[in-house]
Amino acid sequence: MITGSDGQSRPAGSPKKPLISIKNVGLSYGNFQALTDVSVDFYQGELVGLVGDNGAGKTTLIRIISGIIPPTSGEVYFDGERIIKFHPKKAIDLGLECIQQAIGLCDNLSVGRNYFLGREPVRRILGLPFLDKKKIREASAKVVHDFGLRDSVDVDDEIALLSGGEKQTFKIARAVTFRNRVIIMDEPTNHLSVRERTRVNELAVQLKQQGLLVIYITHDIFQIHRIADRIVILENGRKVTDVPRDAMSAEALEGIIRDGSRTSTKEPKVS
Amino acid sequence: MRKLLKRPDLGIIIGCLFIFALFTLYDPAQWFNWGTVSNIGEYTAILGLLAIGQSFVVLIREIDLSVGSVYGIVGIAFVGLENNNVSDVLAFVLAMLLALLVGLVNAALVIRGKLSSMIVTLGGLFFYRGLIYIITHGAVTGVPQAVRQNWFAQLLGGHSLRIQNGFLLLLILGFLCAVTLHETRFGNHLLALGGDPASAESRGVPLGKVRTIAFALCSLFAGLSAIVTLTNDPETSVSLGTGMELEAIAAVVVGGTLLTGGRGTMLGTILGSFFLTAVRSEIIALGAPPSWYVSFVGIALLTLVTINTLLLKRLRISG
Amino acid sequence: MRAAIAHLVRRHPEGGTVTLVVLISLTFAIVTGGSWLSTGNLQSLSQLTAVLAIMAFGEAIVIATGQIDISVGSVSGIGALTFLGLAPVVGSGFGLVAALLFGVLIGGINGVFVAFLGIPSLLVTLGTLFLFQGIGYAVTSGFSFAASNVVRKQFIYNGFGGGTVAGVNTGVIWALTILVVLQLAVFEMPVGNRLLAIGGDAASSFSRGVNVTRIKFGVFVVSGVLAALSGALDAAFIGYADGSFGAGMELSAIAAAVLGGCHLAGGRISLIGTLLGAFILRGIQSFLIILGVQPQWYILVVGLIVVLAGLADRTLTRLVLKR
Ligand SMILES: Nc1ncnc2c1ncn2[C@@H]1O[C@H](COP(=O)(O)OP(=O)(O)O)[C@@H](O)[C@H]1O
Ligand SMILES: [Mg+2]
Repeated sequence: MITGSDGQSRPAGSPKKPLISIKNVGLSYGNFQALTDVSVDFYQGELVGLVGDNGAGKTTLIRIISGIIPPTSGEVYFDGERIIKFHPKKAIDLGLECIQQAIGLCDNLSVGRNYFLGREPVRRILGLPFLDKKKIREASAKVVHDFGLRDSVDVDDEIALLSGGEKQTFKIARAVTFRNRVIIMDEPTNHLSVRERTRVNELAVQLKQQGLLVIYITHDIFQIHRIADRIVILENGRKVTDVPRDAMSAEALEGIIRDGSRTSTKEPKVS
Repeated sequence: MRKLLKRPDLGIIIGCLFIFALFTLYDPAQWFNWGTVSNIGEYTAILGLLAIGQSFVVLIREIDLSVGSVYGIVGIAFVGLENNNVSDVLAFVLAMLLALLVGLVNAALVIRGKLSSMIVTLGGLFFYRGLIYIITHGAVTGVPQAVRQNWFAQLLGGHSLRIQNGFLLLLILGFLCAVTLHETRFGNHLLALGGDPASAESRGVPLGKVRTIAFALCSLFAGLSAIVTLTNDPETSVSLGTGMELEAIAAVVVGGTLLTGGRGTMLGTILGSFFLTAVRSEIIALGAPPSWYVSFVGIALLTLVTINTLLLKRLRISG
Repeated sequence: MRAAIAHLVRRHPEGGTVTLVVLISLTFAIVTGGSWLSTGNLQSLSQLTAVLAIMAFGEAIVIATGQIDISVGSVSGIGALTFLGLAPVVGSGFGLVAALLFGVLIGGINGVFVAFLGIPSLLVTLGTLFLFQGIGYAVTSGFSFAASNVVRKQFIYNGFGGGTVAGVNTGVIWALTILVVLQLAVFEMPVGNRLLAIGGDAASSFSRGVNVTRIKFGVFVVSGVLAALSGALDAAFIGYADGSFGAGMELSAIAAAVLGGCHLAGGRISLIGTLLGAFILRGIQSFLIILGVQPQWYILVVGLIVVLAGLADRTLTRLVLKR
C-alpha cells in the first residue's frame, strides 16, 4: 500500500485513476448539515467498507453517488469525468448499481416488474415498445430461484407479498445480476438471517474479485473488517478515517467510532 | 426579522397589504365606503368561519370536501325548524347537533373505516346535497322576518356599533382558535399529528381523538357559518353553499396553511378569507362580470401556493 | 379457497365492479319492466357513459401516479366552448384541434406546477378549475354557443360526438378506442410500468432511474386532452354549450375512477373498471329518471356509492395482500 499526497490510501501498485472521486462534498438538508467537506476516492477492484454510527451520513453520501440528490457543494467525478447533472438514470447508465437502504422496491408492482423497473425489456410491434412479458417473467424467475427465495414466490405477484428478508435478498439479487462496474450496498444485511449474511459477505468478495468496485456500508466494524480492503469512517458528516484494512485492527477502529459518537452533539434517540 | 420570514402567513400578510394599498390608490371612493366595508365584513365572516373549520382538518393532513353541503344542510335545517315554530335557540342547538353528527360520521369513516378523507368527504359532498333536495323538494324559504328581529337572530346576524356581529364572531372565534392551536396541549397534538403522524403516535398523542375533534370542529364551523348567513340574509335556496368547499380550501391555503399539514395559522386563514372577499367586492364594483371572481380565486390560489411552497423550500435550504 | 379468490382479485381489481354492473343491470331491467333496456335508453346511456368515461380515464391515469386532477370539469367546459365557438368560424376540424390544444395547454399548466414546482396537485388543479371556470363564464357572458345547421352537417362534427354509426354515438367509439390505447400503454408498455411505479413509491422509482418529473407532467397533459375531448364530444351531441358546461363533472369523474377500483393513493388502477364505474353512475341516473323519482336522489346515491366503494375496496385489498 502507498499513501497519496492527499493522505488517502489506495491499493499498492495501482497508479491508476480512481473510478469515483468525491472532492470536498457538502450537503445540507435544510438547516441540517449532513455532510461536511468529504473527500474520498474509490478504485476499481476494491471492496471498501464505509462505516459510521447511525446518522453519520453514510446513506446521504451514497444518495449523492447514486444520483438521487445533488451535493450542495463540492464535486463528484466518475471515471475522471465531472458529474454535473445528478440523476439516478445517469448513475445506472454509467454502470452503478445501488442497493438502497430504505427504498428501491414499489410494493404495488409485481416481482418481475420491480426487477426490470426503469430498464424494461421490450418487443417492438408496429414500432411501439411493448413489454416483453415472457422475458420479464423468465429472467426474474431465474433470479428468484438462483438466490434461494422460496419456490412459492410467483413473479407475477406483488412484491408486497414478500417478507422483509425476501425483499432484501431480492434487491441484492437485482443489483448483482445487473452488475456492471460499481455495486453499492447500504446496510445490505438488515432483515437477513445469520446464514444469509454470510452469503452476502461472500458475494461482496466475489464481486470484487470479478473486478468490480464494491462499497459496503454497515455500522458493524467487525463484520466488514474481515472482508474489506479499506475502511472509511464517517462521523457527524465528516470523514475521520480512511485506512487500508491491515493498517488498523477492528478493535482500534471500533474505538474511533465509539469515541466519536461520545463527543457527538446529537442526543440519543428515544423511541 | 427571521421569525417574521418564517411565518407561514407571511405571503397573505403581504398580499393583504398590497391589495389594501392598491385599492386605496386606485379606487378610494369605493374602497372607503361603509357599504363596501360592511359587505366585505359580512362575506369575510361567512367564508372565514368555514375556512377556520377547514384549517383544523388541513392542519392534520386531511381534507373536508363536504363543508359546502354541510353548510347547506345545516342552514336549511335551521330555517326549516324556525319555520315550524321551534324556538330559535333550540333550532340553533339542533342544527349544530346535526353539524356535529356529520363531523363525527366523517371522522368515524376516516378513522374506523380507514378511508382517505378525500373519498369520505367527496361522498358527503354528494350525499348531503342530495338529501337537501330530497327533503325540501327544491323549495326552501328564508328565516321568517319576525324571527330575524329576535335577540338571538340579532346576536348572530345583527350589528353592534354598525359592525356585523358575524364579523365580530369571526374575530373572537378566530382568536380563540389561534390560542387553542398555539397555546394548548390539544393544539400541540394537532400540529404534531399534522407534522409527523408516526412520531406523534410514538409520543403518545391520541390520534383518533385529535382527528375526531378536528373533523367535528370543521363541520360545526360550517354549520355556524350557514346560520350566521341566514340570520343576516333572508335569501336562501337549495343550492345554498354549493362550491363553498373549494372556496374555503382556497382561503385556508391562500392563508399559508400547508396542505401537507402541521403548518399554518388562524390569522392567515382569516386574512385569506378577507383577501378573496375584498378582491371579489372590488371586481364587482369595477363592473366586471362576477365570473371574473372565480378566475381570480384560481389565480390567487396558484400564485400564493407557489410563493408559499418556494419560500418554504428556500428557508429550508438556506436555514 | 381464500387464496384462490385473493389471486383472482389481485389480478383483476375491477372484479367487484363487474359484479356490481351485472347486479344493477339486472335489477334495473326487472324493476322498470324492461324499459331500462330499451334501445332509446341504452343509446343515451352509452353516450352519457362514454363522455364521462373519457374524462375518468384521464383522471385514472393521474390517480395512478398518486396525484389528482380536479380541473377536468372546467377543462371539458373549455373544450366544449372552443369546439362549438370556433366550428362555425373555422370549421369543426380546426375547432376540434383548438379544443384539444386548450386541453394540452391547461394540462401542461397543471403539470408544470405539480411536476416541476412540486405544488400539491389538489391545490394546483383546484386553482385551474376556478380559473378556467371563470373564463368559461366570461367567454359566453350568459349566452350559449350552438352548432349551426352547416356545422351539424360537417364530417368531423358527426365523427366526434355529433352523429351515430349504426345507431351508436361516435363518442362511444372514441371512448372504446381510447380505452384500448390506454390499456395497452398502461399495462403493456414500459411507460405504464413506470407510471404505476411512481404511484406506488415515487422515491423508489426515482432511484431506479425513472424520470418522475416527466411522467408526472405527462399524465396531466393526457388528462387535459381527454377532458377537452370529452367536453367537445358531449357538446357535439347536445348541440349547444354555455358557461356552466362541465361544472361538477370532476367529482363524477373521480367517483367513476374510485368506483372502478382505482386507489386514490396511487399505484393501482383499472381502466376497464373506470369505464364500468362511469356506466354504473350513469345507469343509476337513467334508472331514477325512468322511475320518475326526483333526479336528485342520484346525487345522494352517488355519495353513498363513493364511500361504500372505498370501503369495499379496502376490504378487498386487505384480503389480497395478506400473506
Ligand atoms: N431527507 C432528509 N431530510 C432531513 N434530514 C435527513 C434526511 N435524510 C437524512 N437526514 C439526516 O441526515 C443525517 C445523516 O443521515 P444518513 O445519511 O441516513 O445516516 P446513516 O446512513 O449514516 O445512518 C441524519 O442525522 C439524518 O437524520
Ligand atoms: Mg443509513
